[in-house]
Amino acid sequence: MKRRFRSLGAILLVLMALCVPGFLWRSQQRANVQANYRSAMAPVFLVPGSSATQNRFNALVAELNRETPHQHSLLRVEVMTDGTLKYTGSVRPADKQPIIVVGFENHHDGYATIQKQAKWFTIAFKALQQTYHFNHFSAMGHSNGGLVLTIFLEDDVARTKTHADRLMTIASPFNLEESDQSVDTPLFKQLSGNRKRLPRALTVYSIAGSEGYSGDGIVPFDSVNRGKLIFQGQVKNFTQMTVTGANANHADLPENQQIVALIRQDLLK
Amino acid sequence: MAERTSRIGRDLIGFEIKFRRNRQMTAIYRALRLIFPVILVGTLADFINQAWLQRSGYYYQTLHVAKWAFQLKLFRQYLGLLSAGTLGLTAILVAFAVSFYLVAPATPLITDRLMAGIIAIIALKSLNVNRQSVLSNHSIQWLSSNLGLSGILVGVLVGLLVGNGYRWLINHQDPEHEHLEQTVGVVSLWLVVLTGFGFFWVSTQTVSLNAALLALARWPFQLPHSLGTLLGFGLLTGTCQWLGILGPVASVGGQSIEAAQNLAAVLNHSGWQVPHPITLHTVVDVYATSGGPGMVLALLLAIFLVRHNVAQRRMGWYCLIPTLGNFNAPLLMGLPVIFSPILFLPFILAPLACITLSWTALVLHWVPAVAYPLANGTPGILQAFLGTGGSWSALTLAVLELVISTAIYYPFVKWAGIAEEAIGYETKIS
Repeated sequence: MKRRFRSLGAILLVLMALCVPGFLWRSQQRANVQANYRSAMAPVFLVPGSSATQNRFNALVAELNRETPHQHSLLRVEVMTDGTLKYTGSVRPADKQPIIVVGFENHHDGYATIQKQAKWFTIAFKALQQTYHFNHFSAMGHSNGGLVLTIFLEDDVARTKTHADRLMTIASPFNLEESDQSVDTPLFKQLSGNRKRLPRALTVYSIAGSEGYSGDGIVPFDSVNRGKLIFQGQVKNFTQMTVTGANANHADLPENQQIVALIRQDLLK
Repeated sequence: MAERTSRIGRDLIGFEIKFRRNRQMTAIYRALRLIFPVILVGTLADFINQAWLQRSGYYYQTLHVAKWAFQLKLFRQYLGLLSAGTLGLTAILVAFAVSFYLVAPATPLITDRLMAGIIAIIALKSLNVNRQSVLSNHSIQWLSSNLGLSGILVGVLVGLLVGNGYRWLINHQDPEHEHLEQTVGVVSLWLVVLTGFGFFWVSTQTVSLNAALLALARWPFQLPHSLGTLLGFGLLTGTCQWLGILGPVASVGGQSIEAAQNLAAVLNHSGWQVPHPITLHTVVDVYATSGGPGMVLALLLAIFLVRHNVAQRRMGWYCLIPTLGNFNAPLLMGLPVIFSPILFLPFILAPLACITLSWTALVLHWVPAVAYPLANGTPGILQAFLGTGGSWSALTLAVLELVISTAIYYPFVKWAGIAEEAIGYETKIS
């Protein structure tokens, strides 16, 4: 009778032994789950460049929503100079990848404004995070919008406890409109100096438009090209692309068909 | 044998013996036995890969494998290849073996037996082909999906079809004729007919036969959650598994919207408030799958509880490791549970009992609902404990259900052992 149950006892012992690591690990479980947790919703933030409003990307979003099985809802947020927010549009309840355009009441060009816009973006981001409970996101910035997002990623994203998945900058002048390659603007010095604070798991695409060989008509190619000095080696992946042909002019870039295809393929995937 | 057996037990044993004497069933059983080692190796590789080397694995997380293991990526790739090369081809192996064993008693010629198996493989593949590549006259692309553990039923069906047809042709061949000519005739006739059938299927249906069967089996899983549908789900998964549709059918749980919302609620608020306490995931995945779907861990315990049966015990030892990690395929195929009338009953009843009990406990708030993701390979009884973030009542419930399930399995395992011995004795003297 004793022998009959010996194997059974051995198996039960093994079963209990296998449970031991689970019991020991239990105290770290919550932190572990929390670290690996990604919300079902991951919004895509679009930030327009200077002298453009939160309506800048309406045509682009309509274009992106054409012929796709998953329609992205569109929410537009305007951050006023006093930090209050104005919303238009809405996020559909089950939409896992809504598009949120963040525009600014003060959308003038210039180093000082870009700094302020980055802080305003943080205000909008935190408010949206409170509402929608997302903990990861992607972002695209056109022109100065890319600079605003880069400053946000360097200075503020860590404090929001969210994970940045992908960033796409379109014709973002990391050295402003400086055409002399030997001059470093204060903005470039700031972005380059803080580059170690960029999220390590981020994937970055920097797209340049090119009319002729030196730039897109407004932003010098060298200024866009300096993105590599900021991102390369700091983030998980950094890809630079140059788009030429029809609609390669600075202002037309967001509606450029090649760029729309890149957004679809790389940012919204 | 001298042990007293109840009337219902005797009836069941009698039925099982009669069932397994059937020529078709004998072929299926022999085929399952034949490919068991392949399945065991594949499952072990899969188990190590899933539970030890992947991020979502139980041992990977609890033993911090990433910190001390070296060449992790290399091992993952190697084990992935090993399990794909074995488990991934199950349907083909089954089709070959069933057809082979069906023809074996009808002819002394090895060539005929092998040829029956080969034709079964070709027939199976002609059903599992990229439709577009056939219809657009390009070079043909074979599909490799749906040939894994979930394809056992299709493999069996094709094996039976081909084997019986071949057997009929052999029995009706002209003994006067030269043999080579005969074989060529039989083979070409069968190939033309079966490929025709495959072509007919491909040109009229948009999915492969395996995919069609799988879709049918998965169809009811998109229902709302009440006790009725949970039990229905348990019944259906059990039946599918018993018929040899193993694998992904059962694991629908953790990815659903409800599970995501449950997790978000637990992480974003203090306390344990779960918006969807009753789902397939919180009831079936957690409480009714110790050792894999069908509470197979209880079956394993029952095997070692029953008075010595050498064959069953040996099988139990072979399948110990995968079963402790909730990989049930080897035990289902080795014992076998698949296509065994006696073991069908507890295989269905034990999960249903667990589902009912867990549902009751959840509704009465005796245990909290699971919200944390379950790691692959977690010992069956620990799933509820870790899924609830360490609820002792959940652990108690899981252990209790394992005990109940073992009790349900016990008599049936005993009877299956008796039937097995009787059949084994018969084949020895015949």
